[in-house]
Amino acid sequence: MNLKKCVIAIMAASLVVFAGCTKKQNASERVLNLSSTAEIKGFDPINAGDLYSGREISKIYEGLLEFHYLKMPYTLVPNLAEEMPQVSTDGLVYTFKIRPGVMFQDDAAFAGGKGRELEAKDFVFSIKRLADSKLNSEGWWVLDGKIKGLNEWRDKNSKLPATNYDEEVEGLKAIDKYTLQFTLAKPFPQFLYSLAMPFTYAVSREVADKYGKEFLNHPVGTGPYKLEAGKFDQTKTIIYVKNPTFRKKLYPSDASPEFQNLLADAGKQLPLVDKVIVHVMVESQPAWLKFNKGELDFYGIPKDNFGTAIKDNKLTPDLSGKGMILSITPLLDVTYTGFNYENKLFQNVNLRRAMYLAYDEGKSNELFYNNTSFPAQSIVPPGIVGNMPDFKNPWKGPNLELAKKTLAEAGYPEGKGLPEITYDISDSTTSRQMAEFFVKQMEQIGVKIKIVASPWPEFMAKVKKKSVQMFGMAWGADYPDAENFLQLLYGPNKSPGANSSNYDNPEYNKMFEKAALMQDSPERTKLYEELNKFVADNVVLMYNMHRQSYTLQQSWLRNYHTSDLHHNNVQYLNIDNEVKAQSLKKF
Amino acid sequence: MNIWLYIIRKVVNMIPTLLGVCLIVFVLFNLVAPDPALLLLGKHGTVEQIAQIHRELGLDRPFWAQYFDIVKSAFTWDFGYSWSSKQEIWQMIKNGAFPSMAITVPAFILTNAIAISISLLVSFYRGKMLDKSVVFVCVAMMSIPGLAYILFGQYFFAYKLGLFEIAGYEPGFPNFVPYVLLPIVLYLIMNIGPDVRYYRTAVLDEIYQDYVRTARAKGLTEKKILFKHVLKNAMIPILTYLIIQIPFLVLGGILTESFFSIPGLGGLTIKAINTSDFPVIKAMTILSAVAFMVFNLLTDVLYTLVDPRAKLK
Amino acid sequence: MTTTTVRPNQSIWAHAARSIYKDKLAFISFVIVTVYMVMGILAFTGVIAADWSKEIGPSYSAPSADYIFGTDIFGRSVFLKAIKGAETAISIGLVTAFITVTLGSVLGLIAGYYGGKLDDFIGWIYTTISSIPGIMLIIAIAFIIGKGLTAVYLSLGLTSWVGLCRVIRGEVIRHKDREYVHAASAIGGSDMRKMFRHILPNVSHMMIINFSLTFQMAIKSEVILSYLGLGVQGRPSWGVMIDDAKLELSRGVWWQLGAATLFMFIIVLALNILGDAIRDALDPKLKGK
Repeated sequence: MNLKKCVIAIMAASLVVFAGCTKKQNASERVLNLSSTAEIKGFDPINAGDLYSGREISKIYEGLLEFHYLKMPYTLVPNLAEEMPQVSTDGLVYTFKIRPGVMFQDDAAFAGGKGRELEAKDFVFSIKRLADSKLNSEGWWVLDGKIKGLNEWRDKNSKLPATNYDEEVEGLKAIDKYTLQFTLAKPFPQFLYSLAMPFTYAVSREVADKYGKEFLNHPVGTGPYKLEAGKFDQTKTIIYVKNPTFRKKLYPSDASPEFQNLLADAGKQLPLVDKVIVHVMVESQPAWLKFNKGELDFYGIPKDNFGTAIKDNKLTPDLSGKGMILSITPLLDVTYTGFNYENKLFQNVNLRRAMYLAYDEGKSNELFYNNTSFPAQSIVPPGIVGNMPDFKNPWKGPNLELAKKTLAEAGYPEGKGLPEITYDISDSTTSRQMAEFFVKQMEQIGVKIKIVASPWPEFMAKVKKKSVQMFGMAWGADYPDAENFLQLLYGPNKSPGANSSNYDNPEYNKMFEKAALMQDSPERTKLYEELNKFVADNVVLMYNMHRQSYTLQQSWLRNYHTSDLHHNNVQYLNIDNEVKAQSLKKF
Repeated sequence: MNIWLYIIRKVVNMIPTLLGVCLIVFVLFNLVAPDPALLLLGKHGTVEQIAQIHRELGLDRPFWAQYFDIVKSAFTWDFGYSWSSKQEIWQMIKNGAFPSMAITVPAFILTNAIAISISLLVSFYRGKMLDKSVVFVCVAMMSIPGLAYILFGQYFFAYKLGLFEIAGYEPGFPNFVPYVLLPIVLYLIMNIGPDVRYYRTAVLDEIYQDYVRTARAKGLTEKKILFKHVLKNAMIPILTYLIIQIPFLVLGGILTESFFSIPGLGGLTIKAINTSDFPVIKAMTILSAVAFMVFNLLTDVLYTLVDPRAKLK
Repeated sequence: MTTTTVRPNQSIWAHAARSIYKDKLAFISFVIVTVYMVMGILAFTGVIAADWSKEIGPSYSAPSADYIFGTDIFGRSVFLKAIKGAETAISIGLVTAFITVTLGSVLGLIAGYYGGKLDDFIGWIYTTISSIPGIMLIIAIAFIIGKGLTAVYLSLGLTSWVGLCRVIRGEVIRHKDREYVHAASAIGGSDMRKMFRHILPNVSHMMIINFSLTFQMAIKSEVILSYLGLGVQGRPSWGVMIDDAKLELSRGVWWQLGAATLFMFIIVLALNILGDAIRDALDPKLKGK
């Protein structure tokens, strides 16, 4: 019976180990526990194409500008720049002063292992990296065609075996140690936004040269945090500690009205917490369960837990009893159902209108968003200039009578003569359910839809190849400007660009081109609104939702607010350990 | 024939198989799969970038050269860089192997130890009620899909009862231990059925051999026969079965790892599938094929060493 | 000549039928499988569960007298979905097993019968395929032929024939030199005739055993495929229902998971038991265990 004894021994041993494994934590240390719902693609700013990588990179790296943490609407303020730039009268030359005394974090790549001071030339290098075709950055579009001489530099170097970073670019100059000058190829009013995006964060040439292809695992920035392990090991738990050489940067003392309650730490040196632990958890269920045990400091409520978390727009007693706080924030996004205009079928405006009229957005809001989203009337979301709060799209459903009538006007009475339309979605449980709902809605007017679900990259590939008919998609703002949404329908941006529906209307293109060159002004706002109305009336897309985030935070978390563009918010967050100890007893 | 010669011949025989694996990988991912440039573009792309990406990935070169690259990677194990994480694949695989094994190795030992004990026990009572009900329970357990076990286990044992960590992983001993306990239990539940059935058959196979009858005729006790003779002889199929499972231990459990956020090779594979990360899928395919072949060879060698009846052919 | 080769088989089949009839558990399993088959056919022809996509009540109603297994997100009957899912499962099981058995036995026959280069080539194909983990091949095949029921059939079928092929090849090599085959050659039987008329019936029990194994394996694999997003589309299946449950469980909606698991559990269990019984009855080597 030896084997049996062996088994019992193993089981006993594992129980002992299990019981002995309680976590130890230093009581005075303030630790933030966060989650990331996507894998981190390494720490190279030029690859920060997704929100999740962008958030991690922003803990270590910084850019010239940032969004003021406590101001809404989004307001750009200097970060590594000492002040906002001087702009020439023609809007083409931007001159920045770099903040002196900013140090790169210590790393073996620097002489003596000590980080050196940040200089203007670091930005020149960082932006050239973004343009280097060999590095294949997803963020190249931000500056594509914008800076004088940069495209020429890119094209020339793409044909060379090695990129020549020493060759000067006319529009990108370090005039002296602390002065940086950009010269644009044409007016680009959104230029400053691009300098707050992770793509243009400052990296140092020494580190990039030393680590080569491994650069993405050796982040060395100027930011408030650094990796505890010194390098990124692609683990599912990323641990950050304070950067000891971080410059003097204080918690802001001014805030817009809605954030007045977040000023308790005003004037304190950043960052506020000692340690940040990010748990990468792709499945929402385990993360939600973890949050409910008090092991995460905030988490967005997953759709399917909504019913148990929220009743009548209030937290259920179970959760509020634990001291959790709900915050509701509109996101800068739009979800839409697109038509591929390369397909003649969809050039029929009445067909598009009929389908839009048949779709019951309210029901979809109830089923998939727990009634938390705003049904979209057009493409520009609320919170961005160009959105018209009172505007109602005349073709928005549900209006089955009119839908059927319009479908007949389109030449397909009761759907007769209309071929079966394929509807492509990216594969996930929720989007599959949404697609099923869409099919049922279209059935009502006799439009037959076939769902084709593919994994996200494959779905995107099909869209880029223009081989879809209809498809479901969402667009989140890159920066808070209507131009970022209106460009989705600009002809020259068609696939493989961002204009996934390949819409190409000369009238629209002309208006858009005009607006894109204008500085912020009432005239531009008027033009934005006109464009917005134009695409609404033509039902260029079936605009579905502007979503809101419903985020729960624990009672011990301080200074938190949800936002899609404050990538670097972690430095402002704080933890009250006493409250945490008290509250956890109720869990 | 000399055992070394036998091994060498077997190894040489592996080459056409490996070339075949490379051929399948090449056909699937270089010929018929969608154009990777479209997968890599990002949301704002340009036509110029597509050509650029083709050049960077070497997709503008002739097919034979692309096939040769795959063959080369199978021998050098230099698989290049992942498309989605931009990490070196070999490094990713090295990082993922330990977490996978932190679950599979203890789970494997535990499961097999229990399964062998049970199968000996029931073969002692073969044909009786105990035997029949154990077999029935095993079959019943095998009839529930793994995903259902995982969903239920995570929700009920980890969340409702709070017995285990819900998900996650921390590197280093003993930090990882609480995270792997539930996955180990689930592995046990999912694998004990087929294991008991296999071992029971292996043991019964021996029990009906002539030598057992002889031993019984000699008056040996049933217990003695079982442990002294039967177990010894049943060791060959048992060992074969054990060894052939080893490559799968490194691969880890695809579903378990993705549900419990374990940064292992199973999770790596599923992520590569979800993101169409072809280089990683190729690498995992080739590596697991190699592992499979090597351990297959190992069982063959072991077989010839242990079992005098097997000929070196 | 032919009669002498078939008769021993007939007695094996008769024996199998008798022993399954005698074994209560196996007989019940047989009845269950038949019931599922009938359910599948009725659902396929639209006699039952044709209006599975109709809303019958509010979203996510718990099981009650009105909604026997509750309702799903759209207020559709989970019970009807599970029945419609049986159709999907049965069709996946049948077609996959059919592809597997056909491929496996034909290739096994050819390899074993002709030997030589052809055997080497088929051997190369199956060692290559068996070296690649099944899941990778399945994914790759789904990549090429797209998504949906056909992709599920093919990806499961094309990856699981190897085991049977190997066994049949071995058996054919044993049978090839038997007297009855030589006799068939003597009277001028063609290769085809010898392979399919004479040898095949003698290895047919393996095909049956493999068929039942593949059948239940395919039903279970469909769950994993659905989780990976490679499953069936636009119609209910147990795998999709379980995949839905991944999100629903935490709001306390357990009935989709429950119904799908229960429906699947019963048929897979029945198939397993039946498969064992058939194997015991047909495989003389295992008799008496």
